[in-house]
Amino acid sequence: MSNQTIDQDASDTLAAVCRLLRHAAVCAWAEAEAEGPRSHLHLLGLGIHTASCQAVAMLPADADLEGHPPAQDDVAQLLRSAEELTRSIPVLDQTAGISPLVVAICDLVREATP
Amino acid sequence: MNRRDGRSVGELLLDADFTTRQVLMDVTGQDAPAMLRTWGEVVQSASELWAALPEPVRGATSPIDGVTMARLESMSQGMHRTQVRQGWPGDGPADERLLHVAETLTRAADLIGRRGGHIRPTDTAVRADLDAARMRIMHTLYVGAHGVGVAARQHVADVELSSRGKSSRESRGAPRGQDAINRLAAFEQLAGAYVGNRFARAAQGEQVRGPYGTERLQQALIGWDIQAHRTLAASPTAANLLLASRTQAGIATAAGAILHAGARTGHVDTDAYEHRLASTVDATQVAWTHVATRWAEMTSPADRTDLDLVHAAGELRAAVREVAHDKTTWARPDVMAGRVDLGEAAQHLQQALSSAVDVACVIRDVAAQDTNLTGPARAMSHRANADIDRTANRGQRGEDVVWVTPGDVYANRTVAIPEPVRAGLVDATDTLVQTAGNAMSAAACLDRVTQDRPPGSGQEPTTSRGRRHEGPTLMAQEVPRAARP
Repeated sequence: MSNQTIDQDASDTLAAVCRLLRHAAVCAWAEAEAEGPRSHLHLLGLGIHTASCQAVAMLPADADLEGHPPAQDDVAQLLRSAEELTRSIPVLDQTAGISPLVVAICDLVREATP
Repeated sequence: MNRRDGRSVGELLLDADFTTRQVLMDVTGQDAPAMLRTWGEVVQSASELWAALPEPVRGATSPIDGVTMARLESMSQGMHRTQVRQGWPGDGPADERLLHVAETLTRAADLIGRRGGHIRPTDTAVRADLDAARMRIMHTLYVGAHGVGVAARQHVADVELSSRGKSSRESRGAPRGQDAINRLAAFEQLAGAYVGNRFARAAQGEQVRGPYGTERLQQALIGWDIQAHRTLAASPTAANLLLASRTQAGIATAAGAILHAGARTGHVDTDAYEHRLASTVDATQVAWTHVATRWAEMTSPADRTDLDLVHAAGELRAAVREVAHDKTTWARPDVMAGRVDLGEAAQHLQQALSSAVDVACVIRDVAAQDTNLTGPARAMSHRANADIDRTANRGQRGEDVVWVTPGDVYANRTVAIPEPVRAGLVDATDTLVQTAGNAMSAAACLDRVTQDRPPGSGQEPTTSRGRRHEGPTLMAQEVPRAARP
Protein backbone atom coordinates (compact mmCIF):
# COMPACT_ATOMS: atom_id res chain seq x y z
CA MET A 1 0.00 0.00 0.00
CA SER A 2 2.53 2.57 -1.16
CA ASN A 3 3.28 4.54 -4.29
CA GLN A 4 6.72 3.92 -5.81
CA THR A 5 6.12 5.97 -8.96
CA ILE A 6 5.56 9.42 -7.48
CA ASP A 7 8.32 11.91 -8.40
CA GLN A 8 10.67 13.37 -5.81
CA ASP A 9 9.24 16.90 -5.70
CA ALA A 10 5.67 15.73 -5.30
CA SER A 11 6.80 13.16 -2.74
CA ASP A 12 8.63 15.78 -0.65
CA THR A 13 5.64 18.13 -0.76
CA LEU A 14 3.25 15.36 0.16
CA ALA A 15 5.50 14.33 3.03
CA ALA A 16 5.32 17.91 4.32
CA VAL A 17 1.52 17.76 4.00
CA CYS A 18 1.56 14.54 6.03
CA ARG A 19 3.61 16.16 8.80
CA LEU A 20 1.25 19.15 8.95
CA LEU A 21 -1.85 16.96 9.03
CA ARG A 22 -0.42 14.65 11.66
CA HIS A 23 0.46 17.58 13.88
CA ALA A 24 -2.93 19.21 13.25
CA ALA A 25 -4.67 15.99 14.34
CA VAL A 26 -2.56 15.85 17.52
CA CYS A 27 -3.41 19.51 18.29
CA ALA A 28 -7.11 19.03 17.59
CA TRP A 29 -7.23 15.99 19.86
CA ALA A 30 -5.32 17.81 22.60
CA GLU A 31 -7.85 20.67 22.48
CA ALA A 32 -10.71 18.16 22.39
CA GLU A 33 -9.44 16.35 25.48
CA ALA A 34 -9.13 19.68 27.29
CA GLU A 35 -12.74 20.53 26.37
CA GLY A 36 -14.11 17.14 27.42
CA PRO A 37 -15.70 14.04 25.89
CA ARG A 38 -18.46 15.99 24.10
CA SER A 39 -16.12 18.29 22.20
CA HIS A 40 -16.80 18.39 18.47
CA LEU A 41 -13.02 18.61 18.03
CA HIS A 42 -12.77 14.85 18.60
CA LEU A 43 -14.46 14.33 15.24
CA LEU A 44 -12.43 17.09 13.61
CA GLY A 45 -9.26 15.35 14.81
CA LEU A 46 -10.55 12.09 13.41
CA GLY A 47 -11.17 13.73 10.05
CA ILE A 48 -7.67 15.21 9.98
CA HIS A 49 -6.17 11.86 10.96
CA THR A 50 -8.00 10.00 8.17
CA ALA A 51 -6.79 12.64 5.67
CA SER A 52 -3.28 12.11 7.00
CA CYS A 53 -3.63 8.33 6.49
CA GLN A 54 -4.76 8.95 2.91
CA ALA A 55 -1.73 11.16 2.29
CA VAL A 56 0.74 8.65 3.79
CA ALA A 57 -0.72 5.90 1.57
CA MET A 58 0.26 7.93 -1.51
CA LEU A 59 3.92 8.05 -0.53
CA PRO A 60 6.70 5.55 -1.26
CA ALA A 61 7.33 2.99 1.47
CA ASP A 62 10.69 4.58 2.35
CA ALA A 63 9.41 8.16 2.57
CA ASP A 64 10.96 10.14 5.42
CA LEU A 65 8.21 11.52 7.64
CA GLU A 66 10.27 12.01 10.78
CA GLY A 67 11.49 15.38 11.93
CA HIS A 68 10.39 18.09 14.29
CA PRO A 69 6.68 18.88 14.34
CA PRO A 70 5.70 22.30 12.98
CA ALA A 71 5.96 25.15 15.48
CA GLN A 72 2.40 26.25 14.75
CA ASP A 73 -0.34 24.84 17.03
CA ASP A 74 -3.37 26.49 15.45
CA VAL A 75 -5.34 23.68 13.82
CA ALA A 76 -7.01 25.89 11.21
CA GLN A 77 -3.69 27.47 10.26
CA LEU A 78 -2.01 24.06 9.95
CA LEU A 79 -4.81 22.86 7.70
CA ARG A 80 -4.58 25.99 5.56
CA SER A 81 -0.83 25.45 5.21
CA ALA A 82 -1.41 21.83 4.17
CA GLU A 83 -3.98 22.93 1.61
CA GLU A 84 -1.60 25.53 0.19
CA LEU A 85 1.10 22.89 -0.20
CA THR A 86 -1.20 20.55 -2.10
CA ARG A 87 -1.66 23.22 -4.77
CA SER A 88 1.82 22.50 -6.09
CA ILE A 89 1.22 18.75 -6.47
CA PRO A 90 0.21 17.93 -10.04
CA VAL A 91 -2.80 15.73 -10.78
CA LEU A 92 -1.17 12.85 -12.65
CA ASP A 93 -1.38 9.08 -12.77
CA GLN A 94 1.59 9.02 -10.38
CA THR A 95 -0.28 11.13 -7.86
CA ALA A 96 -3.56 9.23 -8.09
CA GLY A 97 -5.62 9.96 -5.00
CA ILE A 98 -4.55 13.59 -4.68
CA SER A 99 -7.95 14.98 -5.71
CA PRO A 100 -9.93 13.28 -2.90
CA LEU A 101 -7.19 14.36 -0.49
CA VAL A 102 -7.43 18.00 -1.60
CA VAL A 103 -11.22 17.88 -1.27
CA ALA A 104 -10.90 16.33 2.20
CA ILE A 105 -8.43 19.00 3.34
CA CYS A 106 -10.61 21.82 1.94
CA ASP A 107 -13.60 20.40 3.82
CA LEU A 108 -11.52 20.28 6.99
CA VAL A 109 -10.38 23.89 6.52
CA ARG A 110 -14.03 24.92 6.24
CA GLU A 111 -14.93 22.84 9.28
CA ALA A 112 -12.11 24.28 11.38
CA THR A 113 -12.56 27.92 10.41
CA PRO A 114 -15.20 29.73 12.46
CA MET B 1 -21.12 -9.07 -17.17
CA ASN B 2 -20.64 -8.98 -13.46
CA ARG B 3 -23.15 -11.37 -11.90
CA ARG B 4 -22.78 -9.71 -8.50
CA ASP B 5 -23.47 -6.24 -9.81
CA GLY B 6 -26.09 -4.90 -7.40
CA ARG B 7 -26.70 -1.57 -9.10
CA SER B 8 -30.12 -0.35 -10.17
CA VAL B 9 -31.08 0.54 -13.75
CA GLY B 10 -30.73 4.22 -12.89
CA GLU B 11 -27.24 3.72 -11.50
CA LEU B 12 -26.21 1.72 -14.57
CA LEU B 13 -27.48 4.46 -16.88
CA LEU B 14 -25.61 7.06 -14.88
CA ASP B 15 -22.45 4.96 -15.09
CA ALA B 16 -22.77 4.62 -18.88
CA ASP B 17 -23.35 8.35 -19.31
CA PHE B 18 -20.48 9.21 -16.97
CA THR B 19 -18.10 6.83 -18.74
CA THR B 20 -18.75 8.40 -22.14
CA ARG B 21 -18.04 11.82 -20.63
CA GLN B 22 -14.76 10.50 -19.30
CA VAL B 23 -13.93 9.07 -22.73
CA LEU B 24 -14.54 12.48 -24.26
CA MET B 25 -12.11 14.05 -21.84
CA ASP B 26 -9.33 11.63 -22.69
CA VAL B 27 -9.20 10.58 -26.34
CA THR B 28 -6.30 10.50 -28.77
CA GLY B 29 -5.99 9.63 -32.43
CA GLN B 30 -4.50 6.29 -31.47
CA ASP B 31 -7.78 5.33 -29.79
CA ALA B 32 -9.81 5.79 -32.99
CA PRO B 33 -9.52 2.29 -34.55
CA ALA B 34 -10.45 0.54 -31.28
CA MET B 35 -13.29 3.00 -30.64
CA LEU B 36 -14.69 2.59 -34.13
CA ARG B 37 -14.61 -1.19 -33.72
CA THR B 38 -16.55 -0.96 -30.44
CA TRP B 39 -18.98 1.86 -31.22
CA GLY B 40 -21.44 -0.46 -33.00
CA GLU B 41 -21.78 -2.56 -29.87
CA VAL B 42 -22.59 0.51 -27.80
CA VAL B 43 -25.35 1.57 -30.19
CA GLN B 44 -26.77 -1.95 -30.36
CA SER B 45 -26.85 -2.25 -26.57
CA ALA B 46 -28.49 1.16 -26.29
CA SER B 47 -31.10 0.17 -28.85
CA GLU B 48 -31.89 -3.07 -27.00
CA LEU B 49 -32.21 -1.19 -23.73
CA TRP B 50 -34.48 1.38 -25.36
CA ALA B 51 -36.71 -1.43 -26.64
CA ALA B 52 -36.76 -3.06 -23.18
CA LEU B 53 -38.13 0.07 -21.49
CA PRO B 54 -41.89 -0.10 -20.89
CA GLU B 55 -43.82 1.37 -23.81
CA PRO B 56 -45.38 4.79 -23.24
CA VAL B 57 -49.12 4.73 -22.68
CA ARG B 58 -51.04 5.51 -25.87
CA GLY B 59 -51.21 9.23 -26.48
CA ALA B 60 -48.76 10.03 -23.71
CA THR B 61 -45.83 10.76 -26.04
CA SER B 62 -45.20 11.61 -29.64
CA PRO B 63 -45.24 8.64 -32.06
CA ILE B 64 -41.87 9.70 -33.47
CA ASP B 65 -40.11 9.22 -30.11
CA GLY B 66 -38.95 5.70 -30.90
CA VAL B 67 -37.98 6.56 -34.46
CA THR B 68 -34.79 8.40 -33.53
CA MET B 69 -33.32 5.31 -31.93
CA ALA B 70 -34.29 3.18 -34.93
CA ARG B 71 -32.55 5.65 -37.27
CA LEU B 72 -29.44 5.74 -35.10
CA GLU B 73 -29.27 1.97 -35.06
CA SER B 74 -29.59 1.75 -38.83
CA MET B 75 -26.86 4.39 -39.25
CA SER B 76 -24.59 2.41 -36.96
CA GLN B 77 -25.26 -0.78 -38.91
CA GLY B 78 -24.45 1.08 -42.12
CA MET B 79 -21.15 2.25 -40.65
CA HIS B 80 -20.34 -1.29 -39.62
CA ARG B 81 -21.03 -2.64 -43.12
CA THR B 82 -18.78 0.04 -44.60
CA GLN B 83 -16.00 -0.83 -42.16
CA VAL B 84 -16.24 -4.51 -43.13
CA ARG B 85 -16.21 -3.65 -46.85
CA GLN B 86 -13.24 -1.27 -46.56
CA GLY B 87 -11.35 -3.55 -44.19
CA TRP B 88 -10.70 -0.57 -41.89
CA PRO B 89 -10.12 -0.36 -38.98
CA GLY B 90 -10.04 -4.18 -39.33
CA ASP B 91 -9.59 -6.70 -36.56
CA GLY B 92 -7.94 -5.66 -33.33
CA PRO B 93 -8.56 -4.90 -29.70
CA ALA B 94 -11.78 -3.22 -28.58
CA ASP B 95 -11.88 0.03 -26.64
CA GLU B 96 -12.27 -1.05 -23.04
CA ARG B 97 -14.16 2.05 -21.96
CA LEU B 98 -16.77 1.82 -24.72
CA LEU B 99 -17.00 -1.91 -24.12
CA HIS B 100 -17.81 -1.10 -20.50
CA VAL B 101 -20.55 1.26 -21.65
CA ALA B 102 -22.03 -1.45 -23.90
CA GLU B 103 -21.92 -4.04 -21.11
CA THR B 104 -23.50 -1.60 -18.67
CA LEU B 105 -26.38 -0.86 -21.02
CA THR B 106 -26.86 -4.58 -21.70
CA ARG B 107 -26.94 -5.20 -17.96
CA ALA B 108 -29.65 -2.56 -17.56
CA ALA B 109 -31.72 -4.12 -20.39
CA ASP B 110 -31.29 -7.51 -18.75
CA LEU B 111 -32.50 -6.15 -15.41
CA ILE B 112 -35.59 -4.60 -16.97
CA GLY B 113 -36.29 -7.75 -18.99
CA ARG B 114 -36.15 -9.97 -15.90
CA ARG B 115 -37.60 -7.73 -13.21
CA GLY B 116 -39.34 -4.76 -14.80
CA GLY B 117 -42.14 -6.53 -16.65
CA HIS B 118 -44.74 -5.39 -14.14
CA ILE B 119 -44.02 -1.68 -14.58
CA ARG B 120 -46.96 0.13 -16.19
CA PRO B 121 -46.18 3.75 -17.01
CA THR B 122 -49.53 5.13 -15.91
CA ASP B 123 -48.23 7.11 -12.97
CA THR B 124 -46.76 10.55 -13.71
CA ALA B 125 -43.63 9.88 -11.65
CA VAL B 126 -42.98 6.58 -13.46
CA ARG B 127 -43.45 8.25 -16.84
CA ALA B 128 -41.05 11.01 -15.84
CA ASP B 129 -38.51 8.42 -14.74
CA LEU B 130 -38.83 6.57 -18.04
CA ASP B 131 -38.42 9.82 -19.97
CA ALA B 132 -35.29 10.52 -17.96
CA ALA B 133 -33.99 7.01 -18.71
CA ARG B 134 -34.52 7.52 -22.46
CA MET B 135 -32.83 10.88 -22.24
CA ARG B 136 -29.83 9.31 -20.45
CA ILE B 137 -29.51 6.66 -23.16
CA MET B 138 -29.68 9.24 -25.91
CA HIS B 139 -27.26 11.53 -24.10
CA THR B 140 -24.84 8.63 -23.73
CA LEU B 141 -24.95 8.08 -27.49
CA TYR B 142 -24.70 11.81 -28.19
CA VAL B 143 -21.60 12.32 -26.05
CA GLY B 144 -20.14 8.94 -27.08
CA ALA B 145 -20.50 9.71 -30.80
CA HIS B 146 -18.78 13.03 -30.24
CA GLY B 147 -15.93 11.30 -28.41
CA VAL B 148 -15.43 8.75 -31.19
CA GLY B 149 -15.62 11.58 -33.74
CA VAL B 150 -12.91 13.55 -31.89
CA ALA B 151 -10.69 10.47 -31.87
CA ALA B 152 -11.31 9.88 -35.60
CA ARG B 153 -10.50 13.51 -36.45
CA GLN B 154 -7.30 13.33 -34.45
CA HIS B 155 -6.44 10.04 -36.14
CA VAL B 156 -6.94 11.53 -39.63
CA ALA B 157 -4.76 14.51 -38.71
CA ASP B 158 -2.05 12.14 -37.41
CA VAL B 159 -2.18 10.02 -40.59
CA GLU B 160 -2.04 13.08 -42.86
CA LEU B 161 0.95 14.41 -40.96
CA SER B 162 2.84 11.15 -40.93
CA SER B 163 2.09 10.14 -44.55
CA ARG B 164 2.80 13.46 -46.22
CA GLY B 165 4.74 12.72 -49.41
CA LYS B 166 4.34 8.96 -49.02
CA SER B 167 2.53 6.36 -51.09
CA SER B 168 -1.26 6.22 -51.40
CA ARG B 169 -1.19 2.87 -49.58
CA GLU B 170 0.23 4.57 -46.50
CA SER B 171 -2.13 7.55 -46.66
CA ARG B 172 -5.35 5.68 -47.40
CA GLY B 173 -6.32 5.75 -43.71
CA ALA B 174 -7.12 9.46 -44.13
CA PRO B 175 -10.09 9.21 -46.54
CA ARG B 176 -11.45 6.19 -44.66
CA GLY B 177 -11.24 8.12 -41.43
CA GLN B 178 -12.87 11.13 -43.06
CA ASP B 179 -15.80 8.95 -44.08
CA ALA B 180 -16.18 7.75 -40.47
CA ILE B 181 -16.00 11.36 -39.24
CA ASN B 182 -18.82 12.46 -41.54
CA ARG B 183 -21.07 9.59 -40.56
CA LEU B 184 -20.38 10.11 -36.86
CA ALA B 185 -21.15 13.80 -37.25
CA ALA B 186 -24.55 12.90 -38.77
CA PHE B 187 -25.14 10.45 -35.94
CA GLU B 188 -24.24 13.10 -33.39
CA GLN B 189 -26.57 15.64 -35.00
CA LEU B 190 -29.48 13.22 -34.87
CA ALA B 191 -28.91 12.23 -31.25
CA GLY B 192 -28.27 15.89 -30.38
CA ALA B 193 -31.62 16.86 -31.91
CA TYR B 194 -33.36 14.48 -29.50
CA VAL B 195 -31.42 15.78 -26.51
CA GLY B 196 -31.79 19.42 -27.58
CA ASN B 197 -32.25 21.60 -24.54
CA ARG B 198 -34.48 19.08 -22.78
CA PHE B 199 -31.77 17.16 -20.93
CA ALA B 200 -31.93 19.05 -17.64
CA ARG B 201 -35.73 19.03 -17.55
CA ALA B 202 -35.94 15.30 -18.33
CA ALA B 203 -33.24 14.49 -15.77
CA GLN B 204 -35.32 16.21 -13.10
CA GLY B 205 -37.85 13.41 -13.41
CA GLU B 206 -35.21 10.80 -12.55
CA GLN B 207 -36.14 8.90 -9.42
CA VAL B 208 -33.08 9.07 -7.20
CA ARG B 209 -33.38 7.28 -3.93
CA GLY B 210 -30.82 8.39 -1.38
CA PRO B 211 -30.69 7.07 2.14
CA TYR B 212 -33.78 8.15 4.08
CA GLY B 213 -33.51 9.69 7.52
CA THR B 214 -31.01 7.89 9.67
CA GLU B 215 -30.33 5.17 7.11
CA ARG B 216 -26.92 6.57 6.25
CA LEU B 217 -25.91 6.74 9.90
CA GLN B 218 -27.07 3.16 10.40
CA GLN B 219 -25.21 1.94 7.31
CA ALA B 220 -22.07 3.80 8.32
CA LEU B 221 -22.13 2.36 11.86
CA ILE B 222 -22.66 -1.18 10.59
CA GLY B 223 -20.04 -0.73 7.86
CA TRP B 224 -17.56 0.56 10.42
CA ASP B 225 -18.20 -2.34 12.79
CA ILE B 226 -17.67 -4.93 10.08
CA GLN B 227 -14.54 -3.24 8.72
CA ALA B 228 -13.03 -2.75 12.19
CA HIS B 229 -13.42 -6.46 12.92
CA ARG B 230 -11.98 -7.42 9.52
CA THR B 231 -8.98 -5.13 9.79
CA LEU B 232 -8.16 -5.99 13.39
CA ALA B 233 -8.42 -9.71 12.59
CA ALA B 234 -6.14 -9.45 9.57
CA SER B 235 -3.71 -6.72 10.58
CA PRO B 236 -3.76 -5.61 14.23
CA THR B 237 -1.01 -3.01 13.85
CA ALA B 238 -0.68 -0.03 16.15
CA ALA B 239 -1.73 2.30 13.32
CA ASN B 240 -4.95 0.36 12.70
CA LEU B 241 -5.62 0.07 16.42
CA LEU B 242 -5.11 3.82 16.79
CA LEU B 243 -7.67 4.62 14.09
CA ALA B 244 -10.09 2.02 15.46
CA SER B 245 -9.87 3.48 18.96
CA ARG B 246 -10.15 7.08 17.80
CA THR B 247 -13.18 6.27 15.67
CA GLN B 248 -14.84 4.44 18.55
CA ALA B 249 -14.16 7.50 20.69
CA GLY B 250 -15.78 9.56 17.93
CA ILE B 251 -18.84 7.30 17.98
CA ALA B 252 -19.13 7.80 21.73
CA THR B 253 -18.77 11.59 21.30
CA ALA B 254 -21.44 11.60 18.60
CA ALA B 255 -23.68 9.36 20.71
CA GLY B 256 -23.39 11.83 23.59
CA ALA B 257 -24.32 14.78 21.36
CA ILE B 258 -27.18 13.05 19.54
CA LEU B 259 -28.66 11.51 22.69
CA HIS B 260 -28.45 14.91 24.38
CA ALA B 261 -30.39 16.42 21.49
CA GLY B 262 -32.85 13.52 21.67
CA ALA B 263 -33.42 14.14 25.37
CA ARG B 264 -33.93 17.85 24.80
CA THR B 265 -36.51 17.28 22.07
CA GLY B 266 -38.42 14.44 23.69
CA HIS B 267 -37.11 11.60 21.56
CA VAL B 268 -35.05 10.09 24.37
CA ASP B 269 -36.14 9.74 27.96
CA THR B 270 -34.70 12.73 29.82
CA ASP B 271 -34.36 10.96 33.13
CA ALA B 272 -32.61 7.94 31.63
CA TYR B 273 -30.33 10.24 29.69
CA GLU B 274 -29.36 12.44 32.61
CA HIS B 275 -28.92 9.71 35.20
CA ARG B 276 -27.57 6.78 33.23
CA LEU B 277 -26.70 7.45 29.62
CA ALA B 278 -24.76 10.70 29.76
CA SER B 279 -22.20 9.65 32.35
CA THR B 280 -21.57 6.16 30.98
CA VAL B 281 -21.26 7.30 27.38
CA ASP B 282 -18.84 10.03 28.45
CA ALA B 283 -16.83 7.54 30.49
CA THR B 284 -16.50 5.16 27.54
CA GLN B 285 -15.42 8.09 25.35
CA VAL B 286 -12.65 8.94 27.80
CA ALA B 287 -11.57 5.30 27.97
CA TRP B 288 -11.42 4.98 24.18
CA THR B 289 -9.41 8.21 23.98
CA HIS B 290 -6.98 6.97 26.63
CA VAL B 291 -6.43 3.68 24.78
CA ALA B 292 -6.00 5.56 21.49
CA THR B 293 -3.29 7.70 23.10
CA ARG B 294 -1.46 4.52 24.10
CA TRP B 295 -1.59 3.15 20.56
CA ALA B 296 -0.48 6.51 19.18
CA GLU B 297 2.74 6.24 21.19
CA MET B 298 3.47 2.97 19.44
CA THR B 299 3.15 4.34 15.91
CA SER B 300 5.72 6.13 13.84
CA PRO B 301 4.78 8.81 11.29
CA ALA B 302 5.39 6.54 8.30
CA ASP B 303 3.14 3.72 9.55
CA ARG B 304 0.40 2.77 7.10
CA THR B 305 -3.23 2.42 8.04
CA ASP B 306 -5.57 0.04 6.23
CA LEU B 307 -7.30 2.21 3.62
CA ASP B 308 -10.56 0.27 3.91
CA LEU B 309 -10.59 1.16 7.60
CA VAL B 310 -9.79 4.78 6.73
CA HIS B 311 -12.72 4.92 4.29
CA ALA B 312 -15.10 3.32 6.78
CA ALA B 313 -14.06 5.88 9.41
CA GLY B 314 -14.47 8.70 6.87
CA GLU B 315 -17.97 7.56 5.94
CA LEU B 316 -18.93 7.28 9.59
CA ARG B 317 -17.70 10.78 10.29
CA ALA B 318 -19.58 12.14 7.27
CA ALA B 319 -22.78 10.39 8.38
CA VAL B 320 -22.48 11.85 11.88
CA ARG B 321 -21.83 15.32 10.50
CA GLU B 322 -24.90 15.06 8.28
CA VAL B 323 -27.07 14.54 11.36
CA ALA B 324 -25.32 16.41 14.12
CA HIS B 325 -23.10 19.20 12.76
CA ASP B 326 -23.83 22.74 11.80
CA LYS B 327 -20.92 24.57 10.20
CA THR B 328 -18.07 24.35 12.72
CA THR B 329 -19.76 22.83 15.75
CA TRP B 330 -22.71 20.70 16.92
CA ALA B 331 -26.10 21.59 15.54
CA ARG B 332 -28.77 22.76 17.97
CA PRO B 333 -31.06 19.98 19.25
CA ASP B 334 -34.06 21.28 17.31
CA VAL B 335 -31.98 21.44 14.12
CA MET B 336 -30.91 17.81 14.58
CA ALA B 337 -34.51 16.81 15.30
CA GLY B 338 -35.58 18.57 12.11
CA ARG B 339 -33.15 16.49 10.07
CA VAL B 340 -33.82 12.98 11.31
CA ASP B 341 -35.93 11.06 13.79
CA LEU B 342 -33.65 11.22 16.82
CA GLY B 343 -35.42 8.26 18.42
CA GLU B 344 -34.44 6.15 15.44
CA ALA B 345 -30.89 7.54 15.55
CA ALA B 346 -30.76 6.65 19.25
CA GLN B 347 -31.60 3.04 18.42
CA HIS B 348 -28.79 2.84 15.89
CA LEU B 349 -26.40 4.34 18.43
CA GLN B 350 -27.56 1.88 21.03
CA GLN B 351 -26.55 -0.95 18.67
CA ALA B 352 -23.23 0.77 18.03
CA LEU B 353 -22.58 1.05 21.77
CA SER B 354 -23.29 -2.68 22.08
CA SER B 355 -20.96 -3.66 19.26
CA ALA B 356 -18.31 -1.36 20.75
CA VAL B 357 -17.94 -3.85 23.61
CA ASP B 358 -16.85 -6.52 21.17
CA VAL B 359 -14.37 -4.20 19.47
CA ALA B 360 -13.01 -3.32 22.92
CA CYS B 361 -12.58 -7.03 23.71
CA VAL B 362 -10.73 -7.59 20.42
CA ILE B 363 -8.40 -4.69 21.23
CA ARG B 364 -7.81 -5.97 24.75
CA ASP B 365 -6.92 -9.40 23.35
CA VAL B 366 -4.42 -7.82 20.99
CA ALA B 367 -2.91 -5.81 23.85
CA ALA B 368 -2.63 -8.86 26.07
CA GLN B 369 -1.62 -11.55 23.62
CA ASP B 370 -0.07 -10.16 20.45
CA THR B 371 3.66 -10.80 20.70
CA ASN B 372 4.40 -8.73 17.59
CA LEU B 373 3.53 -5.36 19.10
CA THR B 374 6.32 -2.87 18.58
CA GLY B 375 6.96 0.82 18.99
CA PRO B 376 9.65 3.49 18.54
CA ALA B 377 12.41 2.99 21.12
CA ARG B 378 12.33 6.51 22.59
CA ALA B 379 8.59 6.56 23.12
CA MET B 380 8.66 3.04 24.53
CA SER B 381 11.47 3.86 26.93
CA HIS B 382 9.67 7.01 28.08
CA ARG B 383 6.39 5.15 28.54
CA ALA B 384 8.01 2.23 30.37
CA ASN B 385 9.66 4.60 32.85
CA ALA B 386 6.43 6.54 33.33
CA ASP B 387 4.47 3.35 33.98
CA ILE B 388 7.10 2.10 36.42
CA ASP B 389 6.97 5.44 38.26
CA ARG B 390 3.19 5.15 38.39
CA THR B 391 3.31 1.69 39.98
CA ALA B 392 6.09 2.89 42.31
CA ASN B 393 3.77 5.64 43.52
CA ARG B 394 1.29 2.93 44.38
CA GLY B 395 3.92 1.41 46.63
CA GLN B 396 5.25 -1.31 44.33
CA ARG B 397 8.86 -0.36 43.84
CA GLY B 398 10.68 -2.87 41.62
CA GLU B 399 14.27 -3.28 40.56
CA ASP B 400 15.93 -0.84 38.16
CA VAL B 401 15.71 -2.48 34.76
CA VAL B 402 16.79 -1.08 31.41
CA TRP B 403 13.79 -1.84 29.21
CA VAL B 404 15.19 -0.33 26.03
CA THR B 405 18.88 -0.31 25.23
CA PRO B 406 20.63 3.06 24.90
CA GLY B 407 21.62 2.13 21.33
CA ASP B 408 17.99 1.59 20.35
CA VAL B 409 16.98 4.83 22.05
CA TYR B 410 19.76 6.75 20.29
CA ALA B 411 18.77 5.43 16.85
CA ASN B 412 15.07 5.39 17.79
CA ARG B 413 14.75 1.87 16.37
CA THR B 414 11.51 -0.03 16.37
CA VAL B 415 11.55 -2.36 19.38
CA ALA B 416 9.22 -4.91 20.94
CA ILE B 417 7.08 -3.20 23.57
CA PRO B 418 8.61 -3.51 27.06
CA GLU B 419 6.74 -5.43 29.73
CA PRO B 420 5.59 -2.35 31.74
CA VAL B 421 4.18 -0.80 28.56
CA ARG B 422 2.20 -3.93 27.81
CA ALA B 423 0.94 -4.08 31.39
CA GLY B 424 -0.19 -0.46 31.18
CA LEU B 425 -1.87 -1.15 27.86
CA VAL B 426 -3.72 -4.14 29.28
CA ASP B 427 -4.83 -2.04 32.25
CA ALA B 428 -6.17 0.64 29.92
CA THR B 429 -8.00 -1.87 27.73
CA ASP B 430 -9.47 -3.63 30.78
CA THR B 431 -10.93 -0.31 31.88
CA LEU B 432 -12.16 0.25 28.35
CA VAL B 433 -14.00 -3.09 28.24
CA GLN B 434 -15.57 -2.30 31.59
CA THR B 435 -16.76 1.18 30.62
CA ALA B 436 -17.97 0.00 27.20
CA GLY B 437 -20.00 -2.69 28.98
CA ASN B 438 -21.49 -0.07 31.28
CA ALA B 439 -22.45 2.12 28.33
CA MET B 440 -24.07 -0.85 26.60
CA SER B 441 -26.10 -1.64 29.70
CA ALA B 442 -27.21 1.95 30.14
CA ALA B 443 -28.13 2.25 26.47
CA ALA B 444 -30.35 -0.84 26.64
CA CYS B 445 -33.17 1.44 27.80
CA LEU B 446 -33.14 3.27 24.47
CA ASP B 447 -35.04 0.47 22.79
CA ARG B 448 -37.95 0.72 25.18
CA VAL B 449 -37.92 4.48 25.22
CA THR B 450 -38.37 4.54 21.48
CA GLN B 451 -41.04 1.87 21.50
CA ASP B 452 -42.98 3.61 24.27
CA ARG B 453 -42.89 6.95 22.53
CA PRO B 454 -46.41 7.68 21.23
CA PRO B 455 -46.64 8.29 17.50
CA GLY B 456 -46.41 11.93 16.59
CA SER B 457 -44.65 12.93 19.78
CA GLY B 458 -41.87 14.89 18.33
CA GLN B 459 -40.56 18.13 19.52
CA GLU B 460 -42.11 18.37 23.00
CA PRO B 461 -39.62 17.83 25.78
CA THR B 462 -40.42 14.88 27.98
CA THR B 463 -39.75 15.14 31.64
CA SER B 464 -42.12 12.75 33.34
CA ARG B 465 -41.67 9.46 31.53
CA GLY B 466 -38.48 8.53 33.27
CA ARG B 467 -40.08 6.40 35.95
CA ARG B 468 -41.61 4.08 33.40
CA HIS B 469 -38.17 2.88 32.45
CA GLU B 470 -36.85 2.06 35.84
CA GLY B 471 -36.77 -1.65 35.21
CA PRO B 472 -33.78 -3.75 36.06
CA THR B 473 -30.84 -2.41 34.11
CA LEU B 474 -27.57 -4.18 33.74
CA MET B 475 -25.02 -1.82 35.13
CA ALA B 476 -21.36 -2.61 35.17
CA GLN B 477 -21.87 -5.79 33.24
CA GLU B 478 -19.37 -8.45 34.13
CA VAL B 479 -17.02 -8.94 31.23
CA PRO B 480 -14.35 -11.60 31.43
CA ARG B 481 -10.87 -10.17 31.78
CA ALA B 482 -8.07 -11.28 29.56
CA ALA B 483 -5.20 -13.15 31.10
CA ARG B 484 -2.29 -10.85 31.76
CA PRO B 485 1.01 -11.64 30.22
